Amino acid sequence: MKDTTINARQTGMLCTIMILANKIFLLPALLYEGAKSDGFFIMIMLFAIELCVLGVFFLLKSKYPNNTLNFILEKHIGKFLSKIIYIVLMVFFLFKTLLAYSVVYAYLKAQVYQEEFALLALICIIPVVNHAVISGLRVFSRTIELYFYAICTGIFICLVVGLINSQGMPFFFRATPSEFFLTSFKHIFSFGDFIFLFLIIDKIKIEKKEYKTVFKFIVLGIAIVLILFYIFYSIYQITAFMHNSALTDILSVSLQFNAVGRLDVIAMVTIMFLSFFELTIFAFGFSEGFCNVFHKLNRTYSVVVFDVIFMCVYFILVGRYENMLLYNESWLPYLSLFANYLIPILLFVIAILKRRRN
Amino acid sequence: MSFLNVEKTLSKVKKEFYQTSDITSRLFKKDGATLGFIYLKSITDGQLFAEAIFKPISSTKYSLTLKHLQEDILEANDITEVDESEFVDKIISGSVIIVIDGEEKALAVDLLKYPTRTPSEPPTSPVIMGPREGFVEDIKTNMSLMRRRIASNKLVMKQMKIGEFSNTKVVITYIHGITDEKIVKKVQERLKEIKIDGIIDSYYLVGFLQENENSVFRQVGMAEKPDIVASKLLEGKVAIIVDNSPIVLTVPFILFEDLQNSNDYYTNHHYSSFIRAIRMIGIIMAIVSSGMYLALQLYHYNVLPLNFLITIADTTQGLPFTPFLEILFIFLLFQILYEVSLRLPSYLGLATSVVGALILGDTGVKAGLISPPGVIIVAVSKIALYLVPQQSSQVTLLQAIFVVLGGSLGMLGIVAGMIYFTNYLNKIDSYGSPYLAPYSPRIDNDLQDGIFKENIADMRLRPESFKNKNKVRLK
Repeated sequence: MKDTTINARQTGMLCTIMILANKIFLLPALLYEGAKSDGFFIMIMLFAIELCVLGVFFLLKSKYPNNTLNFILEKHIGKFLSKIIYIVLMVFFLFKTLLAYSVVYAYLKAQVYQEEFALLALICIIPVVNHAVISGLRVFSRTIELYFYAICTGIFICLVVGLINSQGMPFFFRATPSEFFLTSFKHIFSFGDFIFLFLIIDKIKIEKKEYKTVFKFIVLGIAIVLILFYIFYSIYQITAFMHNSALTDILSVSLQFNAVGRLDVIAMVTIMFLSFFELTIFAFGFSEGFCNVFHKLNRTYSVVVFDVIFMCVYFILVGRYENMLLYNESWLPYLSLFANYLIPILLFVIAILKRRRN
Repeated sequence: MSFLNVEKTLSKVKKEFYQTSDITSRLFKKDGATLGFIYLKSITDGQLFAEAIFKPISSTKYSLTLKHLQEDILEANDITEVDESEFVDKIISGSVIIVIDGEEKALAVDLLKYPTRTPSEPPTSPVIMGPREGFVEDIKTNMSLMRRRIASNKLVMKQMKIGEFSNTKVVITYIHGITDEKIVKKVQERLKEIKIDGIIDSYYLVGFLQENENSVFRQVGMAEKPDIVASKLLEGKVAIIVDNSPIVLTVPFILFEDLQNSNDYYTNHHYSSFIRAIRMIGIIMAIVSSGMYLALQLYHYNVLPLNFLITIADTTQGLPFTPFLEILFIFLLFQILYEVSLRLPSYLGLATSVVGALILGDTGVKAGLISPPGVIIVAVSKIALYLVPQQSSQVTLLQAIFVVLGGSLGMLGIVAGMIYFTNYLNKIDSYGSPYLAPYSPRIDNDLQDGIFKENIADMRLRPESFKNKNKVRLK
């Protein structure tokens, strides 16, 4: 049988990509809209919760090193409930993909192509994502490994240029507690990426001493996001809500760098790479859920089903990027509550039970 | 058990060769004994036949029995007793069959002689400093070149024949104690399964040895120099030497091997690292530069430096083609010129290159059909291609794909293409070795011979990208 596992380093890189991907374009502006510069603290708070979820994952992994999530769930809550959980996760990852796609499409349309190219974008993105998902976790993790440092370098350049342009400290503590918590709740769907790790728990080959490696990459991802938020809010102290792509916009105040030209091409390429990887991870999350619900169908079927549902939902339900943002702030947080927090809590209980039994 | 009758046996063998004109038989009688010789004169050394066989037999005082011939009379090195069933095989391998009336068996004396060339520096792997010997078409010479490089009893060479009609000799070579036996077994099994009419060149075997048979990317190493093959054997790989081919195949193979060059190992390692980095940049440029130029020109012109943008705008103004068609046209023109220059005799090839590059290019620009930046970009990508000549065919295909992607989808297409092909390459495993190792997955130990090469004195372990039995190369 072909080895489909990934190592600690690749797991760490996957986590960093998940942390970076959907938090460095649109989210800073959305959080600013609700909580002003205190969006920075919302990030700290939600990252702290994410780290707790990560802790649950490590605990579960140490108790069930080689078992699938399906095995763990079926053993404790039965077949029916475990299937329900998988279906919820499928929906969760489907909408995650839709959100990520809507955001990147809106960015490309507004800042790069300046015209509608929905079909062309789908023709370009979907086959690549499909191929990556069918190729499997091991393959696309290796691809991420190859481009990881190039992506980090791209972001690093953006941060350095942004830092040069920054104008002192952002104006903190302007949001009321209700604004702060309401905004946090509205945008929790942009978090909860680590639930993906539970789905692939059996495919992660990791020793206890290697947890540190994963953790290092996660800290790197969180640090980059927080630095970006800080720089973004410091550059656009009043108008941050108007800037829909933080990574590009922290560069746009310095349009020309002598003979080098505009540097936002770096941000643009970085965003493209990140988006492809993010979409692949989420689509794989859906596919993994599908394969566990329908045991007899293989990954290719899951990809076909994903494509059909994705296109239908995108063109019928979502249509425009603004609609997706509306869902993001209305009912998706509730789905997120279930997927991001209730499932990890349930798995935490399972892990504790196992520890007691031992 | 039957006793041989010379005349009958010779005529039977001749029939088995369908009376081909180069089958030669002779009868020889002396002191009541009758001997028959039969051989293919086109592949037998006539002079050696006279000196090592005919002269000693005619002047001998011994009786002409099988035993005397073998032990006392014949002056050849390679003499074997053979049954009647082995006659055909031996004859086509260049042996002279000596049949003695009334004996049960005959003698086969190897007098094979092919026209061969002496080892010289291969055109594709020249070195500034270092060994200049290259493989030739004769398998024996190639085997001796390998033995000279690795003078150890652990160098194993296993011969087999492939091809119903060509009966091509194929030798599997490896170092016992270093190479993983599973890889050797796998190679042997794959070669044994081949039921083909003929193997004309070693490249015929590539398709059979590859794990992904229909892949665009080659998964078998090819080397024309014994020093390169010897170093690969020392890494734990298996070499396949094929008769009539100066190219030796090696497996497992990873993509990065083609970025390495024998020159890198015969110069300062700092300089080698620099050159490898240049090679890496060059090959990436070769693949994406034309497509990226199109993407920037068509979709992302606002990110170009202003002066560069003005230059492009000036030079592309009034062109009859769209930028996409222009680049495609130049690309095709270069490819046609390349193919023509390969196939024409060298003096005509040079003329074609001059006509193509100077006259067509220059006149095309002056006539306002193509723009100078377009010509430069495509020319750079075509020249950079030959930084890694072994990968030129694959890279040419990728260039064409990226031109289409860049022209139709801009940078998004380029990025999509890069990710797609990286995934595609990551799927390939060559005999258990990840194709993009040591970078994807990253294998720390092997980075010492990656883009940045370390001193040979620091390379203590064999590459981990390839399965091998003995990890330590420097104690």
